[in-house]
Amino acid sequence: MKINEENKGTVKVIRLSGKVISGPDLMEVKTAFESAVNNDFRRILVDLGSVSWMDSSGLGVLVSGHTTVSRAGGRMVILNATKKIHELFIITKLITVFDTFNDETEALAALEG
Amino acid sequence: MLKGIRLTVPSDELMLETVQVFVESVGMAGGVLPEELTSLSIAVMELVRNGMKHGNRLNPAKPLTVTVDVLPGRISFQVEDTGSWQPDRDLGHRPGEGSELLDDRGRGILIARNLAKWVEFDLTPEGKTRATLIWPLT
Repeated sequence: MKINEENKGTVKVIRLSGKVISGPDLMEVKTAFESAVNNDFRRILVDLGSVSWMDSSGLGVLVSGHTTVSRAGGRMVILNATKKIHELFIITKLITVFDTFNDETEALAALEG
Repeated sequence: MLKGIRLTVPSDELMLETVQVFVESVGMAGGVLPEELTSLSIAVMELVRNGMKHGNRLNPAKPLTVTVDVLPGRISFQVEDTGSWQPDRDLGHRPGEGSELLDDRGRGILIARNLAKWVEFDLTPEGKTRATLIWPLT
């Protein structure tokens, strides 16, 4: 798994790619959320478009990120969840928690709105 | 028919990707549709990770074994750890409900059962925990 971060105005964009699988890499994702909040980002966009595989551990880290950002008064949205990840969101009812977008411009507008 | 294909690994999360590749490779060889391989591997890997974590406490000295049998119309995956725990009882967690919706753990069995439809837990004759997942071949 790889993590790529970039800043788009007041939005922290965290792009994940590869296999999001349980292990040390997931701690890096958790740290990325915490670091963003500690650096005063309150708007987080998580791009999952290049994620080829994800299990419940990956979902757990997304939930953890959502909680971290929400507690800081911010908002996190999901971009480009693949069909399979979307299915996992439905199975686990996380579809009721995460705001998901397939267009980055729309996602950024929603965060900045 | 392919029977008794077996992979044994240490209970170390660094081995998970190896097991995931094994599951998809055997699934493909056994006739699982390409578009179903990811769902299959996610479902099996939830059981593997549970076995490593809850059965073997992520102790690399404790092995976890995945045994695959390709049978008429179905493929069976058995995941055995060295514990004697009962997943349905010991993970009495309902992550899709109420305040537990935002818990950051505990969704593995829910996902495995939804993707695979047929997941059972029992104890081996030696008293060790065994998870069995049946995937229909179409």
